[in-house]
Amino acid sequence: MSMAVFMTQDPTNSFQWMVFLAQKYSRLFLQGMWITLYVAVIGTLGGFLLGFLIGIVEDMKISADDSPVKKVLIRVLKIICKVYVELFRGTPMIVQAMIIFYGISQTGVQISPDIAGILVTLLNTGAYMTETVRAGINSIDAGQKEGALSLGMSPLNAMFMVILPQAFKNIIPEMANTFLTNLKMTSVLNVIGVSELFMMAKTAGGTYYKYFESYLVIALIYLVLCFIFNRIFKLIEKKMSVRKNYALAIEYMTND
Amino acid sequence: MENEILLSVEQLNKSFGDHEVLKQIDFSVTGGEVICIVGSSGSGKSTLLRCINRLEHQTSGKIYYHGQEVRDIQSEVNKYRAKVGMVFQSFNLFNNMSVLKNCMAATQKVLHLPQEEAFSRAIKHLKSVGMAPYINAMPDQLSGGQKQRVAIARSLCMNPELLLFDEPTSALDPEMVGEVLNVMKALAETGLTMLIVTHEMGFARDVSTRTIFMDKGYIAEDDVPERLFTNPQNPRTREFLSRFISG
Repeated sequence: MSMAVFMTQDPTNSFQWMVFLAQKYSRLFLQGMWITLYVAVIGTLGGFLLGFLIGIVEDMKISADDSPVKKVLIRVLKIICKVYVELFRGTPMIVQAMIIFYGISQTGVQISPDIAGILVTLLNTGAYMTETVRAGINSIDAGQKEGALSLGMSPLNAMFMVILPQAFKNIIPEMANTFLTNLKMTSVLNVIGVSELFMMAKTAGGTYYKYFESYLVIALIYLVLCFIFNRIFKLIEKKMSVRKNYALAIEYMTND
Repeated sequence: MENEILLSVEQLNKSFGDHEVLKQIDFSVTGGEVICIVGSSGSGKSTLLRCINRLEHQTSGKIYYHGQEVRDIQSEVNKYRAKVGMVFQSFNLFNNMSVLKNCMAATQKVLHLPQEEAFSRAIKHLKSVGMAPYINAMPDQLSGGQKQRVAIARSLCMNPELLLFDEPTSALDPEMVGEVLNVMKALAETGLTMLIVTHEMGFARDVSTRTIFMDKGYIAEDDVPERLFTNPQNPRTREFLSRFISG
């Protein structure tokens, strides 16, 4: 450590510059890391929720004897969802960020870049999660739903009690994937002034004109963050997997 | 409930695209009856059962339950299904729940029974099918026959007026078929009204109070098993049963 401190007084090579920048601007990088995490976590969680809601709407069925109001309502909901998914999957996140941030600002509503950034991440994630959730729901054998319905459960009850808990397990890897993507994609939010890692690296590198080294620092931070989260997700996945033991719990009660 | 018409099916037709699966189906179920529906694969037996449980929708025709038309309005269908249960060929136990939870989920959610009552009801019916020792097991820890017995108990917990069985033993090996049929036989003796699609001719002959033979989407013959199995009137029934006897 003392070696590193000594070297950073007068950096000569790229490695030394990295250490120098990381030390001198440690507060900037930590702050950037915090904002990156904050936007990614909240945006992703909100996006998951939105994706689940839309995935459920897309799975709704209209039956012939439903009331006209219900039929129209479901149709309109489905169209709104379709348009939203098409729009957000068909445009780059960086463009969405610009349009949402400047669009909202133009209506006179004050919106902080951080909130806009969360909103963009959320909407973007939601659009992709919809497909994941739909695929997850479809991956569950139709018999599970029929079993629930045949007992008089409503389709919504069947969804929440039987199908989603099983689908959820299947889509955890994809959710983890989406979160890691988001963690990195927040970097584009610097265009609307969110002071996340990328923005901080730009600032830190600018003073000494050492962009290469500064970006290497945040590359390392991104890498470590992704590595840690990846491990966490793997752990969750393992915890969620069904217990596969065939020794049955017979001790509880005898059958007489 | 005895001798009262529970369910009647009138002029039911069902097509999948151009393919007509059910043609002018007319029959009714009286309380206490145990009706077996037999016939070759593709004759429309399962589709008929699925129409009755509203998992499929007929192209035309009507189904009446206690004289009331069964309409496809979700809240009405839910109430109707709570009274008309169904047991499936593929068991359809909830894979995310233990045996006990499987039997308690609907009684709590649909019938709004308090937990203790749902529990005691589940235990009672699990005992009657011999699955009480397995209440903590997950479905994938059970054999096919055990799963089906749990599925039957799960349906019984709803206190159904009519229980539909869609080839309950077709996915089982011969040893397990016996354990499930025994449970169903015992159920028939309790007076539960049952409508059973099956390929188990011996069971249909011995247990049913009425047997329906379906052929190419029609009800070809509908008679007491004593006559249907010994002196079938329809040549197709005779052909089908002769194959069963010689096979």
